[in-house]
Amino acid sequence: MSILKFDHLSKRLQGSSENQPLFSNVSAVIDEPERIALLAPSGQGKSTLLRILSLLDCADEGDILLNNVSFREWQPLHWRMKAMYVAQQAVMLPGSVEDNLRIASRLHRTVFDNDYARKLMADVGLHELDWCKPSADLSGGEKQRVALVRSLLLYPDLLLLDEITASLDPHSKVAVEVMLAELHEKQGTTYIWVTHDLEQARSVSNRVWFMGEGTLLEDAPTGEFFRSPQSEAARRFLSLADREEGEKCQA
Amino acid sequence: MSGLALTFTLIFVFITVLVSMRQKLGLEKDIMIGTIRAAVQLLLVGYVLQFVFRTENLFLIIFIIVMMIAVAAWNAGQRGSGLRGIRWRIALSIGATEALIMLLLLGLGIIEPASQYIIPISGMSIGNAMVVAGLFLNGMKQDVLASKGEIEALLALGANARQAIQQCLKRAVKASMIPTIDGMKTVGIVQLPGMMTGMIIAGADPLEAVRYQILIVFAFTSSAAVTSIILGLLSYRLWFTKELQLRLQDSR
Repeated sequence: MSILKFDHLSKRLQGSSENQPLFSNVSAVIDEPERIALLAPSGQGKSTLLRILSLLDCADEGDILLNNVSFREWQPLHWRMKAMYVAQQAVMLPGSVEDNLRIASRLHRTVFDNDYARKLMADVGLHELDWCKPSADLSGGEKQRVALVRSLLLYPDLLLLDEITASLDPHSKVAVEVMLAELHEKQGTTYIWVTHDLEQARSVSNRVWFMGEGTLLEDAPTGEFFRSPQSEAARRFLSLADREEGEKCQA
Repeated sequence: MSGLALTFTLIFVFITVLVSMRQKLGLEKDIMIGTIRAAVQLLLVGYVLQFVFRTENLFLIIFIIVMMIAVAAWNAGQRGSGLRGIRWRIALSIGATEALIMLLLLGLGIIEPASQYIIPISGMSIGNAMVVAGLFLNGMKQDVLASKGEIEALLALGANARQAIQQCLKRAVKASMIPTIDGMKTVGIVQLPGMMTGMIIAGADPLEAVRYQILIVFAFTSSAAVTSIILGLLSYRLWFTKELQLRLQDSR
């Protein structure tokens, strides 16, 4: 039984007069718990793909199956509890940090696992954060980590992570990476992680999906993708990233 | 008021036209159309009411109230353009509010079961409910747009439509009720309500007029609350697609 499968997904650009596709014919299968890095130059639809996979957006064509069942047969809210999308721009809900952490158990009338919440908060480097603090007063990095922990308290099988470490300091970034690796190891959580940081992609994934030329161009083990990318677009993407990295080091 | 006296009131229209011409406001045509429409509509309503009050036909009373609700729903529905089926939802909300108010007023013997009381009070209450429904829809449109991130964060956490939009609903209900509540606080001090003034001019005892005005003000408050809560419950799902994705409306 596959964890996630999507077939020939396509999405047209919103507002485009000629129905220009953002991407088309995007297909992949995840058969066992994996750590996937989703890479692409800007504007290829990485975030849109993640939103489609969490049913927050809809594809124009194609099918998505979670645990071998098509999205058409799922209740969207049950699907989203299993395939959890964590947005790049963390949105805090009104109230305190604790209100935000308790939101999932309030929505679904389940018992709030205080110990697990404390453990996750400590894992992402927020062990000292006062839970009574208004969520609006948190820094960008704190919001992003609270939003991640808030999602993890639902024990999702699949995490759809949209540049979730973009506003974190290096130390917190590593803490999040380690925590997610541990989740994968211990709970068999699969994640699809959109990142622009190639170093991060190398370290957090065992498989890379590369989007280019309006489709999913490559699906390969991480080492293999970085060693010998098959497509010209991927080679260009990697060499450009290398050059930018070199310039940054020189600067 | 004699016919001659009524004709003299046209002086006010001439003053307005003169001001418009002198200041080059270009409003003369609109003033003329407005004058004719107001006179024709009001005189027509006067004759209709006179006929209804004389015949006391129950079906005619119901027909007039249904017409009022239909026009109010159509009008307030313009605030909800893009929301499919919003007009019948507004009609249902206003209708339920009207039914509740009439049930209480007639059931408790607060007013007599005569068209002379039922129609004017229904008209005012339906008119107020129409304004409240429009304010509610406007508030929802703006709030949903501003709270897109919040709603999607809740959807991503597996919230259902009601849970995801609950805060917006609360804020929009509150915003739609504020003018009615503010009006309650200042009535009699800042403005003398039209109905009360009309009754006094027509020769009623001011205290009797005030009693009816108090009735109207209290009825308005509950009509505002009931309309916007029922409309909220009937319409919140319209802000989502059938796949439970947020459907953003044009905020105009």
